[in-house]
Amino acid sequence: MTQSSEAHPPAIGVLPSSSRLSKLLRGRTTALALLSLALALVLSILSPQFLTSTNLTTIATGMIYDLLIASGMTLVLILGGIDLSVGSILGLTGVITTMALQDGVSIPIAVLIGLSVSVLCGAINGFAVAYLKIAPFVVTLGMMSIARGIATVLTSGYFVSGLPEAYLSIGQGTFLGIPNPVYIVIIILLSFHFLLKNWKPLNQAYYVGNNPKAARLSGIRVSRMLFVGFVISGLMSGIAAIFMTSRLAMGFFQFGLGSELTAIAASVIGGASLNGGSGNILGTFFGVLLLATINNGFILLQGSPNWQNVVSGGILVAALVVDAYRRRKEERE
Amino acid sequence: MNALLKVEGIYKSFAGNKVLHDVSFSVNAGEVHSLVGENGAGKSTLMNIIGGIHRPDSGTITLDGQSVSFSDPWQAKQKGISLVHQELSLAPNMEVAQNIFIRRQPRNRLGFIQWKKMVDETSALFRRIGVDIDPSRLVGEYSIAMQQIIEIAKAISMDARVIIMDEPTSALSGSEVDRLYTIVRDLKAQGVAIVFISHKLTEVFKISDEISVLRDGHMVGNVRPGEATPQDVIHLMVGRSIDQLYPPKAEIIGEEILTVEGLSNPPHFEDINFSLCKGEILGFAGLVGSGRTEVARAIFGADRTAGKVTLNGKPVDNRSPHNAIEDGIAYLTEDRKTLGLFLTMPVRDNIVAASLDRFLTSSRMLKHHEIVAKSREYVEKMEIRPFNDEVSIISLSGGNQQKSLLAKWLSSTPKVLIADEPTRGVDVGAKVKIHSDLRALANQGVGVIVISSELPEILGLSDRIAVFREGRITAILDGDVTQAEVMKYATQ
Repeated sequence: MTQSSEAHPPAIGVLPSSSRLSKLLRGRTTALALLSLALALVLSILSPQFLTSTNLTTIATGMIYDLLIASGMTLVLILGGIDLSVGSILGLTGVITTMALQDGVSIPIAVLIGLSVSVLCGAINGFAVAYLKIAPFVVTLGMMSIARGIATVLTSGYFVSGLPEAYLSIGQGTFLGIPNPVYIVIIILLSFHFLLKNWKPLNQAYYVGNNPKAARLSGIRVSRMLFVGFVISGLMSGIAAIFMTSRLAMGFFQFGLGSELTAIAASVIGGASLNGGSGNILGTFFGVLLLATINNGFILLQGSPNWQNVVSGGILVAALVVDAYRRRKEERE
Repeated sequence: MNALLKVEGIYKSFAGNKVLHDVSFSVNAGEVHSLVGENGAGKSTLMNIIGGIHRPDSGTITLDGQSVSFSDPWQAKQKGISLVHQELSLAPNMEVAQNIFIRRQPRNRLGFIQWKKMVDETSALFRRIGVDIDPSRLVGEYSIAMQQIIEIAKAISMDARVIIMDEPTSALSGSEVDRLYTIVRDLKAQGVAIVFISHKLTEVFKISDEISVLRDGHMVGNVRPGEATPQDVIHLMVGRSIDQLYPPKAEIIGEEILTVEGLSNPPHFEDINFSLCKGEILGFAGLVGSGRTEVARAIFGADRTAGKVTLNGKPVDNRSPHNAIEDGIAYLTEDRKTLGLFLTMPVRDNIVAASLDRFLTSSRMLKHHEIVAKSREYVEKMEIRPFNDEVSIISLSGGNQQKSLLAKWLSSTPKVLIADEPTRGVDVGAKVKIHSDLRALANQGVGVIVISSELPEILGLSDRIAVFREGRITAILDGDVTQAEVMKYATQ
């Protein structure tokens, strides 16, 4: 039985029949969960601080931004695209929202303006990819530079601070000792996971990523789907920006720097393929969890943060190697 | 005569499945030895072993009396064995000459590539074969047929002594096939041994000196064309005799369902007019490139065109395949791998890909149990092997992939089905099944258009035949005409 779960990676699963669900449970997601658990065990032995509620809360709040961005990234990767602009969109959205607040705009309106900016950035990406047929890598590389550039120009590199108390409570408020954003992100992720599996308009993404030409000839509106994918990815970055700026009580043009790499790494570790057509939110969740736990381990054990990137990168490469091996084995059979 | 290439006692299994069982095969210099068998019989595996792509579990390969073993295709090529794949292995974005000289570009003493020499030698090569191909153009600019010839030229340029051609004519038609035959004859005269794999028995009988038949991994027969008939070979291939290759023609033709008027998309086709009735199979005959596929794509809304298409008396504004499918028009593509299949997805997802809208709750959630039921129903009805719709479709044989693709369109319950080369690269058993399914569909009142480059298929299947030449319909004939008559309109 382990043989069959090897041959058919659960990540490809579109229609979760009972047997495919059990494959999923036996497959990569379980491996990731166990790996995270083992790592947590090691860390709790090595460092007494690991299992404290403060530390676990720190891990959880640190994860929420990556979780949002990575789930948007997963959708884009399933569609066969890539979104390099997520970090910059986070930065720009944060800067514009906080500047609006500074100017006395009411909180709901400021948040709405911010989210609109993120959606607009995503829509520009989506339009260029879906309708102008420009390669996603190039489009989003451009957007990455443009959005970050605008954020820099708007703030001249200064922090945007002095935000209203009520805004800060979005990110800093807690319920039962757990920060509010954690709940919201869990709800967003669960809905996203469920919709991607079961809701036809989103589920079609697997067809699009697997073979866009065949998808079009099967009556699937490929361009629209691609467009929507990039918009959702932009929106996820925007939501992350609201949480981040309210939690840290400021906007800063460098927020989200490098988070596209974390998001891609987490998605790929979780089962997404850079060739499109596979990936799922649950896997991505564990990808983020694994990277966050490693991150936390480095802080607790006072390891050099420079090495941390090496380890995260190593895990990403390892995930890709396992993938390539699996794919080759499948092709041979 | 001493065999140039000889394989003996080859065994090979993949993941526990025995694919080849004690297979022996040999080919003499200057002869064409054809290898036939149903898809999944082990032909490709055998060729991949000879070509160095796979290694046999046991058995020997002897080339020119010397025992050889290859660990990769390049070693086989250097020994003079070239494999011309069914799926071409050319780089479309590189020039023809670069493709011909891949990995062995002429270099000067400093290691720099001598471009002029490369282009000149390529030109000389094409002159020798007698084809007009510009070495400096990109491979992707040429048709599949020309690419096939470039691929063969590549093998010739490497001084191949054994050339294995895997379904070389599946994408060619008419004059292109003749040109290929000429090339094959020239190669024979030069003492090259050719292994020819094809599903088209007529051509196998035409060009072979010897025919070997594989069934389920066993070599079940070896005949010379003069000593056996195609019927005998089919019998060997399937292990039973197939008497009725084509289903009976339509008994009742219904009212008009599809009318096409003045459809134009120059330079592909111009001023196309025809109509299709319920219960009828209309054949599109013509050479490759005569505009048949393009017309089909236009009716399906895949390309933008001028002209009027009427379905059931109502003009249809088919801006996209999405609209066409909603209107009840289905198009089975000729290019299974690129345009048809979701290769790494399960058979089930492929079968329901075009009819997902039928399995939705009011909030557009997928009803998974109904999807499972529908897909299993079709796997059973279409006799898709294996009886498991959860395996990736890439693991199925060509015939079963094609049946799955047809199932995708049948399950969308179309009013009009356009089947473009519905049996390309498909074994005899699957072919008969697909033909009878198409006729059954027509008998249910669906209008069916069949595009095929195999004239016998067009004649055997169609109630009427529209003949295409250079983007125009030159004649609409009754289904009982002769091949010669169709060819007359297709070529003159």
